[in-house]
Amino acid sequence: MKNLNETIKRVLSDENDVRAATAPYQAEFPYDRDEEAQVTRREFCNFLGLTSAALFLGAGGFAAKAALEAGNFESFSPAQIAGAEILAPNSALNFNYPTERDSAILIRTADGTYHAYGQKCTHLACPVYYSRDHQRLECPCHEGAFDAATGNVLYGPPPRSLDVIEVEARDGQVWAIGRKTSGGEHAS
Amino acid sequence: MQANTPPTERQSERHHAAVWQARLIMLVMINIAQLWILAATVDAALARHYSVLLPLVIASGVCFVITLSIIRWWRPTSRRKTSSGYIRASVKNR
Repeated sequence: MKNLNETIKRVLSDENDVRAATAPYQAEFPYDRDEEAQVTRREFCNFLGLTSAALFLGAGGFAAKAALEAGNFESFSPAQIAGAEILAPNSALNFNYPTERDSAILIRTADGTYHAYGQKCTHLACPVYYSRDHQRLECPCHEGAFDAATGNVLYGPPPRSLDVIEVEARDGQVWAIGRKTSGGEHAS
Repeated sequence: MQANTPPTERQSERHHAAVWQARLIMLVMINIAQLWILAATVDAALARHYSVLLPLVIASGVCFVITLSIIRWWRPTSRRKTSSGYIRASVKNR
């Protein structure tokens, strides 16, 4: 009777065969399938310890990288902003300054003056865009907004104003001549 | 009267499990705190608030040290190791 029950169980379910790992292909990669899903308290403790180490290293690494970048003084060379001279009032143009990795936004306000800012929102570095309807720079991530003429925060979570890129008109062309980090702190 | 009697094997196991649970809960709580610290570090770095970076890293380091101490030294008394070997709770209470 017992044997019959075991046979029925084995026939109805192939799980037993899988766990037994009797097939040739299973023998090539042997491990105890019954204990596969079980984690001991000691293993879990060690996992938490490793997680703690990883989080510590992550925080330290991120802080070190930020401090290192802050300590590097960048020198900016003037660069012409292509297409700026034909920019219509109350519109914006994206460009890169001072390096190809630094995206920036040039705005020509309704009165015709040019203003340029780093495109990274000072909250969590989302790219800001120019809202023609509201005539301000807006961050789509957390609904922050900046003044188009000054780069100052109008509302929302950004803690400081946008980085200002100084622009200058030279022979009918618009040039970016420098970048100022506004607000924030400098690493000592 | 009852306090002087040595705990039975089952009681000892129960105490042992309670300490293990306490250890795990503390480790999980510390991990959650460290996650929060990491998020705050990222936030501060992006916002260029450099003055808070060092305290945050130190706080994370302290959490890590506490984690290590829990894993390394915080053990149930029944498994505490001394120079003369492991002390059993039942022996210690006699």
